Amino acid sequence: MAVTITARPRIDGLGIIFTLLLSLAIIFPLLVVGTWAFTEIWRYPNVVPQQFGLRFWEQTLTRPDVWGALTLSLQLSTVVTLLSAAICLPAAYAFARMSFPARTVLFFSFLAGHAFPKFGLLIAIAAIFLQLNLIGTFWGVVLIQLVGTLLFMIWIPVAAFQAVDRRMEEAARDVGASPLRVFWSITLPQAGPTIAAAVLLTFVGTFYETEGAWLIGAPAIRTMPVLMISFINNQMVIQYGAVLSVMLWVPSFVALMFARRVIGGGAFARGFGG
Amino acid sequence: MSQATEAEHRPLIDATGDSRRPTGLLLVGIPVLLMAWLVVWPIINAIVRTIWRPDQTGDYGLDFSSYGFFFSDGYSLANLSITLWTTGVCALFLLVICLPIALYLRFAQGPLPGFVQALAIFPMFVPSIILAYAFIRVLGPNGMVDIILNSVGLPKIRTPYLTPWGPVIGLVWDNIPLTVLILLSGLGSVANQAIEAARDVGANRLQVFWHIIMPRISNSILVALSFSILGIFSAFTLPYLLGPAAPEMMGPFMQRTFREVNDLLNAMTQAVITFGFCIAFGLFYVRSVARNQRK
Repeated sequence: MAVTITARPRIDGLGIIFTLLLSLAIIFPLLVVGTWAFTEIWRYPNVVPQQFGLRFWEQTLTRPDVWGALTLSLQLSTVVTLLSAAICLPAAYAFARMSFPARTVLFFSFLAGHAFPKFGLLIAIAAIFLQLNLIGTFWGVVLIQLVGTLLFMIWIPVAAFQAVDRRMEEAARDVGASPLRVFWSITLPQAGPTIAAAVLLTFVGTFYETEGAWLIGAPAIRTMPVLMISFINNQMVIQYGAVLSVMLWVPSFVALMFARRVIGGGAFARGFGG
Repeated sequence: MSQATEAEHRPLIDATGDSRRPTGLLLVGIPVLLMAWLVVWPIINAIVRTIWRPDQTGDYGLDFSSYGFFFSDGYSLANLSITLWTTGVCALFLLVICLPIALYLRFAQGPLPGFVQALAIFPMFVPSIILAYAFIRVLGPNGMVDIILNSVGLPKIRTPYLTPWGPVIGLVWDNIPLTVLILLSGLGSVANQAIEAARDVGANRLQVFWHIIMPRISNSILVALSFSILGIFSAFTLPYLLGPAAPEMMGPFMQRTFREVNDLLNAMTQAVITFGFCIAFGLFYVRSVARNQRK
């Protein structure tokens, strides 16, 4: 390291301040929740819990409403993600590779849902569902969550398909591969990882979707976030909420690990208009 | 299936022959029709049904009385103004917090920026429901902050839980990641040479920021703010769990009007009013995203 020019390698004071403040504001609250989840007794003025233990995990996990909500949430997320993939991925391929009338307009039409405040839009959709008797039903929640996934599940795969090296596809065609074979052996392996990340993020996003489920589904359809709302509102045993938070956060952590490649690229921020 | 066949019957205006064209429309047909049915149609439906209503005799006609009620009802107006206040305060805080972070991330070197960026993006992976719970445990009555203050002999805080500041803190927390990402992406277009050139002619940090950086990222700032404002104006979960019961923000207000009061007309009126307040931000946001995608 040459130290001739106006030396850069000094202490990054600003960085340390940001790190401390952000840790305090972002990591600290989550650590408190994590601590509560493994606490059996923690009376007010004590700085540390009097007794740690897993008692409340057992109590939370044996509650039938927790299991019901977990199963329902997993079912909903699976159905929504599969439906979304089934209708969006072919559409993404078409947008990326085919020419058809009104292609640009239709492509940008998926932004329409983002031009309006979300909950207002949900109320407007609920007014339609009311006439169709979809309020309080499984499929009503599926539909409302499905709409929320469209933009993401089309735009990210479109970028993935466009990033595939066309020359490799043409080379495969030249040596006699069928279109399907080219898609399977050349296009999919290259676009696959990004698409997989989009599918995973859709699944996790649907799992945590609260507002549509609450407005359309409650009280009959109780997903995990909806159950969590009632735990918070009814001020039950503090640890139930903490245990549920830790459990709920696991899928998010998996998503965090997988999504790093999608979010790392500037494409993600650009998708949001940056 | 009927949706797909409908798409097939669309007229193919373009003259340049290509046999794959109907296939393309067929493939995009279902998601496009779903958008039309569950985004465009509900909006039109809500607007039309709140202004084109039957009177006592059953004849349909223009009728703005539900809007008249909203804008003359003290409670509705209080809810609207708390929503405007929350949105404005959140936007201000987001700018004050996120712009320095983004500037730091753009220009700092060494190992720390990566860590700071990871921290700033982290809230994206914390569902708002967990955030609400963490907020109550930390800032709520007898929460962690109270515990710590008590242990060093200081009085308790006046908890922001169930006050208008509750949703502000939660919503700012929730919106930090995307605001930082959008601002950072905008800062990417600021060339190092431009800054060095300004420095060479003797500009100080503030002048560089104001005359070189600001003009180049003002659009990104507007995009970031539009995006957060759209999300915050009709936010539901955080205001519902952390905010006061009355006056309430538009999100919980609409939800209560719809689900608890069962007043569809007024719920739709409230929804249309939130559309009206956000339309400028929405259009600006969509225009910017579309322009960026075309690059």
